[in-house]
Amino acid sequence: MSKLLEIDQFTLHFPGRGALLNEVSLHVDDGEAVALVGESGSGKSLTTRAALGLFPETSRLSGSVKVQGLDTTSAPAAKLLQLRRNRASMIFQDPRAGINPVRTVGDFLTETLVRWRGLSREESVERAITQLEQVGLRRTKEMMRQYPHQLSGGMLQRVMIAAALLDSPELLLCDEPTTALDVTTQAGILELLREQQQARAMGMLFITHDLNLAASLCDRVYVLRKGEVVEHGAACDVFLSPQADYTRQLVGATPRIELDKVPTAPAADGTMPLLSVKGLGRRYELPGGEMLTALNDATFTLAPGGSLGVVGESGSGKSTLARMIVALETADEGELAINGRVRAPRPLRARERKLLAKDVQIVFQDPYLSLDPRIAVGKAVADVFRLHQGQGRADAVQSARELLERVGIGPERFESKPRALSGGQRQRVAIAKALAARPKLLVLDEATSALDVSVQAQVLELVEEVREQLGLTILFVTHDLAVVSRLCAELLVLQQGQIVEQGPTAKILSAPTSDYTRTLLDSRPRALWEEQPA
Amino acid sequence: MAVTQLAAPPAPPTPATKKSPTAAPLALVLRRVGTLLITLFFASLIVFFSRFVLPGDPARFLLRGRSPKPEALAEITKQFGLDKPPIEQYFTWIGGILHGDWGRSLTYRQSVSDVLLNRLPVTLELVALAAVFITGLGLIAGMLASLNKGGWDRFILITVTAAGAIPPFVAAIVLTALFAVQLGWFPSFGSGDEGPSRLWHLTLPALALGVTFIAFMARVTRSSMNEQLTREHVEVATSRGLTRSSVVFRHVLRNALGPILTVSGVLIAGLLVSSAIVEQTFGLTGIGQLLVQSIDRLDFAVVQAIVMIIVTAFVLANTVVDLIQPLIDPRIAAGTESR
Repeated sequence: MSKLLEIDQFTLHFPGRGALLNEVSLHVDDGEAVALVGESGSGKSLTTRAALGLFPETSRLSGSVKVQGLDTTSAPAAKLLQLRRNRASMIFQDPRAGINPVRTVGDFLTETLVRWRGLSREESVERAITQLEQVGLRRTKEMMRQYPHQLSGGMLQRVMIAAALLDSPELLLCDEPTTALDVTTQAGILELLREQQQARAMGMLFITHDLNLAASLCDRVYVLRKGEVVEHGAACDVFLSPQADYTRQLVGATPRIELDKVPTAPAADGTMPLLSVKGLGRRYELPGGEMLTALNDATFTLAPGGSLGVVGESGSGKSTLARMIVALETADEGELAINGRVRAPRPLRARERKLLAKDVQIVFQDPYLSLDPRIAVGKAVADVFRLHQGQGRADAVQSARELLERVGIGPERFESKPRALSGGQRQRVAIAKALAARPKLLVLDEATSALDVSVQAQVLELVEEVREQLGLTILFVTHDLAVVSRLCAELLVLQQGQIVEQGPTAKILSAPTSDYTRTLLDSRPRALWEEQPA
Repeated sequence: MAVTQLAAPPAPPTPATKKSPTAAPLALVLRRVGTLLITLFFASLIVFFSRFVLPGDPARFLLRGRSPKPEALAEITKQFGLDKPPIEQYFTWIGGILHGDWGRSLTYRQSVSDVLLNRLPVTLELVALAAVFITGLGLIAGMLASLNKGGWDRFILITVTAAGAIPPFVAAIVLTALFAVQLGWFPSFGSGDEGPSRLWHLTLPALALGVTFIAFMARVTRSSMNEQLTREHVEVATSRGLTRSSVVFRHVLRNALGPILTVSGVLIAGLLVSSAIVEQTFGLTGIGQLLVQSIDRLDFAVVQAIVMIIVTAFVLANTVVDLIQPLIDPRIAAGTESR
């Protein structure tokens, strides 16, 4: 077997700053699937792009990156073009950002064919249509004339894969190709990639932050941390008996469904439910005049001290539900009561909103967007104390200090602006801000989805901790069943605005009654060695 | 096996997404044209009635230098319909415009249409030539700055910032001094005859008129392209082996056109207004010069007509821009808007 991609002692840095990649060495053989696992900022994207000769401007390089013997760090531009055109293709993370939104899908697919494959327009269209069908798309003729915004994310990713395959590459580079997709869509894409990789005997380098994904697709794994390879070996070995501390930590932080660790609901003692929802519905009018039912006839209750997970894919109505609970949206029908107080069916007035905010707080998905970039984090939290607890300036600052300390933000960070903090720290601040109102119900809307696995694990731990200490009631909205299994005693599964299943988490996960829940469970990536029992 | 079934993607476009592209264009055009008409109506109200706010009696002005005999004054007032109530005057005026009659000029003693028709070609040619310079030079400067980081970018940015601060009349004087007086390449005065001579005569005025806008256009092009250059689809295009020029023209410039076009729409009005100064400086007999003279002589019929033309040109240009936008970015037509 010859080495298709061979990266040797590759170092990349910007003048005056530390190395982003430090003596990275890895190789991919012909027809082999290799995973490169790492968290954000580990340099995995830089490594893959290097294989195509895509280096950031003004960066300094040393070492070598060879694709079939061609060193991309020193190759002339013409050779690089040939490499990109004929031998290596890349599939990017977000197909919606990766395909030019103002050009048609057909244009995207055929632009390479008509330019240097010497095909006529008709021939390339034909070729593209065949390729689209091969990646499992239907109505391909119409699709060629459509624009990216008219297709779903999963379909677009298939288009992106089709475009990569059109060049019949020997090396396929995948940069987190399923991160922007739903679990069930992800399962389909992974299957397609595996299928094509084996059918065409392509070498594949698959980047991901998710060990489960790596294990489900690749034979060998490299673990990258802060620009250095900390461990490599057979996927099975790395996963089951990690050697490096970091890998061990990563494996430990990777969420898994462990039924015996699912929390149990507090015994029903006949008290009034904290949150009670009856026949709740919300509709939106689409630009075409059509009505979209975001949520239909949702009915459930949540007892004080309970924890409810709301699981569904994008468009299932889970965020709409969360937003209605905190009164960011108004229900079109049904009844929503918190602490026995029934919500008026209209947008709340400022005074009512303030009153509600004392009981219910929300933490959003992206802490980069949900914190004001101009306000120091300490002041942000102190402001909540002043608003909701009526504390004076000095008292509020003191309370904020204590609370931030408790969520793991030291006093030295008190004056920092959000941009000086990491993603995990920002989410801690966002949680502290929510807790400062001393709410009874904390709504977490995909609060850990934007975070790295290790950070996600820490934030989940924090949520568990404050729930126990403060007796909080938790409503956790997520797409990840494993996260729910760890945090929530009760579970509610949403599909296209309908509740398809609800009940104790352990029961639903061990014996799902609805097809959809079963599909969700089956779609979770499974390690290769588990699929083929010896 | 459940996975394989899921692998079949959901049925493509739901009726909702399929419906909009066919129904949208006509509705969009009608809505824009409706907005256009309403805007013009309100503009006409403001243009017409603003004269009653201004001091000065046009009839009295006509008789300047002579002893204003009350009878003569009354007769002229009556002849130009100035004795009727303002509302009635407005309807006479607007009704006339709809029939192509813009009223009579007080100073020239002929119909406003005739006066304007003599002048309009020069101004239109001037503005058109300036527009060519603006798009040509502005786009090229912006693209060069955006694609050549470092020295070139800084040089163009500084030049453009300096040029943007030059008022048209200063630019006119500098250009005349340099190219007409010193080098003698271009004439410094007059609009010449039809054809090449006209073009030759209008080059300096068009440059003087355009210099601020060239700077503006260069800046917008530069920032709009810079924004697109960082987009992932540009990286994807590069990774597929497209040449630099293919990437720039197909994926950067094409996507950057939206903001550039929006700015162009706004520029039109600025060009027409600035043309007054430039025409005055270069002695061109266009409507800009006419506007200045007519205000001076309280020739309201002419002033109103010119202002209406400028307003119409402005609104029309922006409507056209709005209508072209969906062709450049199909997401706007679908109502999902760019982001």
